[in-house]
Amino acid sequence: MPKKDIKIAKSQSGKSFEFVLSSDPPSGAMKYVYFSPKRDYVVAFFKDKLDPRAIARLESITGKYRHDIFEQIGGDYWKNLYCWPEEIVEWEGKIGIVVPSYAQNFFFQYDKPRNGKEKQGKWFASAKLLRIISQEERGNFLNYLRISLKLAQAVRRMHAAGLAHSDLSYNNVLIDPHGGNACIIDIDGLVVPGKYPPDVLGTPDFIAPEVLSDNTRETLPSAKTDKHALAVLIYMYLLHRHPLRGGRFFGPDMEAEDEELLLMGKDPLYIEHPKDARNRNMKREYGNDLIKFQPWIDLDKFSAAKIAGPFLAALFEKAFIDGLKNPMLRPAAEEWENALYKTCDRLLPCSNPACTGKWYVFDNSKYPRCPFCGTEYKGLVPKLEFYSCRPGSKTYKPDNHQLMVFNGQSLSRWHVMNNILPNEKITAEDRERQAYFQFHNGTWRLVNERLTSLFEVLPDGSKVQKKAREFIELKEGTKILLSTEAGGRLAIVQLAGK
Amino acid sequence: MRRLPVYLLLDVSGSMFGDAIGAVENGVQTLHSALMSDPHALETAYLSVITFSDSAQQVVPLTELSQFIPPQLEAKGLTSLGAALKFTAECADREVVKGSSREASDWKPLVYIMTDGAATDNIDEGLAEFKKRKWGVVVACAAGADADPDELKKITEVVVKLNTADSTTLKAFFKWVTASISRSSEKIERGGGEPGKLDMLPDPPQEIEIL
Repeated sequence: MPKKDIKIAKSQSGKSFEFVLSSDPPSGAMKYVYFSPKRDYVVAFFKDKLDPRAIARLESITGKYRHDIFEQIGGDYWKNLYCWPEEIVEWEGKIGIVVPSYAQNFFFQYDKPRNGKEKQGKWFASAKLLRIISQEERGNFLNYLRISLKLAQAVRRMHAAGLAHSDLSYNNVLIDPHGGNACIIDIDGLVVPGKYPPDVLGTPDFIAPEVLSDNTRETLPSAKTDKHALAVLIYMYLLHRHPLRGGRFFGPDMEAEDEELLLMGKDPLYIEHPKDARNRNMKREYGNDLIKFQPWIDLDKFSAAKIAGPFLAALFEKAFIDGLKNPMLRPAAEEWENALYKTCDRLLPCSNPACTGKWYVFDNSKYPRCPFCGTEYKGLVPKLEFYSCRPGSKTYKPDNHQLMVFNGQSLSRWHVMNNILPNEKITAEDRERQAYFQFHNGTWRLVNERLTSLFEVLPDGSKVQKKAREFIELKEGTKILLSTEAGGRLAIVQLAGK
Repeated sequence: MRRLPVYLLLDVSGSMFGDAIGAVENGVQTLHSALMSDPHALETAYLSVITFSDSAQQVVPLTELSQFIPPQLEAKGLTSLGAALKFTAECADREVVKGSSREASDWKPLVYIMTDGAATDNIDEGLAEFKKRKWGVVVACAAGADADPDELKKITEVVVKLNTADSTTLKAFFKWVTASISRSSEKIERGGGEPGKLDMLPDPPQEIEIL
């Protein structure tokens, strides 16, 4: 093997970064990329000379904003969710950035033709591409919820810091459906308010309608347009089709570009609009590919409501009906995050070992059935409906949050308390399982482990405390007070299935 | 799914005999396998190979990437570029879907023309037919010293020149074409608009000179 040609790039503070000079480096539209000798980071040099404002932008991304996000409580959490530029360096007059290498799980490992290649999100966003990926890499439905959750968190944190990504798309997000991970890349293009306008309008399929339809090119990507892109990404990862591509016919003699401009920009219409079916012509949209996109383009059997459940379906309508032309009405990243948590709690495991979904959202039906493979759920399905008191009140009101019960299901602090969420702020202590559910001798039980004020509330209103290792039997109408602390929840049991 | 038709127009005249034709054959193979690992191309791109020598023929009709089989090529005969242009226009008439109430239209086709010599027929008639159709990006490549860039300039504003038609250079050319096809389905640069325009082309490697 020829000796590696190792060069050294220097940061302003004098730190050295080695990289391996190669004659034909990978390159994007704006940068050439070189690996460090150990491949633990890359040095990416800009092709064009950067103006002072572009450098100022990079300085705030690698400096202030990086500190604000990573050097706080919970900062480590973000290391897996972003591939964030760490330093600005110079080599032979060229400006570059040092960025950590992508984690190993973002490269294909169980899919022979693609092994070693990056798992660009596009592979998993299209039903046609998904079918050629190995089952192992394809992951299950729960993992797509996890991926969406991590994306929503990453966008929420960025927006909270005052940043906009400006080009969120499956090109700039790596996902790992095998493990349920997601990571935002290409962060050097972030829009820092007041410092630098966005470099690009975005990526087709993700550009917000108001940006695409503005001929003057004055409407630029922002946090508002990120919200559109985030909604499209989540829709595509969960449903493997585009929410605005429904084959709508606008009239004869129309060129592809003009039709695209109407579909995505000037006159967009949600394919699942409940009152307007003009964009539900899947035969026209998918043409020869119709079979390759099945079953995901069956908008009845695979509707957002049936597959992603009520919380997410409501947000999709908010994003693609109300918010499509009114950016102020688009759901914030935090709303997606909450809906995704709650959706995970509504999942039921599919008993069919060959099922591709493995998990599905409970649809309130008496006899639940897996939408992916059609297998009926065996046995009773207890469901905990949560209630809690608003601060200063003693009346329990519904939280519109349910937890499905199956063997081995856990009860966590974020179920017990209405003021704890399983996000970056959660402590190790709060991560511990508080109680679990068990099917024992034909009955369902909630078995206490760590709850210090767990009570069964009897029909006469009296309360019986249950200590660690004690249990409550779950029957229709069983009332459980999970905690007497402020924010502690009450749960009422309902039963479905047979 | 809206398709992205891609036509490769390849010179297989006698002057390509030997290493050059082998390099072109390899080039098409590498182009195909590289696009197979690009999810964007795999979803939308359809590929056709048209060769020209004494006449033009479509050795691979417009085919979905996953079904495409790279053809074997044989070098002999003249350089009927005019006939090839006319023939390509006819293929596109037949294969490229125009929008209707039942079918979504294809993207405008991308055309890559590679020749190592000047046309041996009169290109005017074929050129006129070619120009009547709507294309996305049309790239013409003058490979080696005997090609005539001025003639190619009549076909398209995007003419690239390879100083030699050897295997290394042709390999670089096909790699660049691959990147260009990949990019066409991807990104709209600021101020750009539709795919297939000049500013959508990737930076050429040193072997390729944009005229």
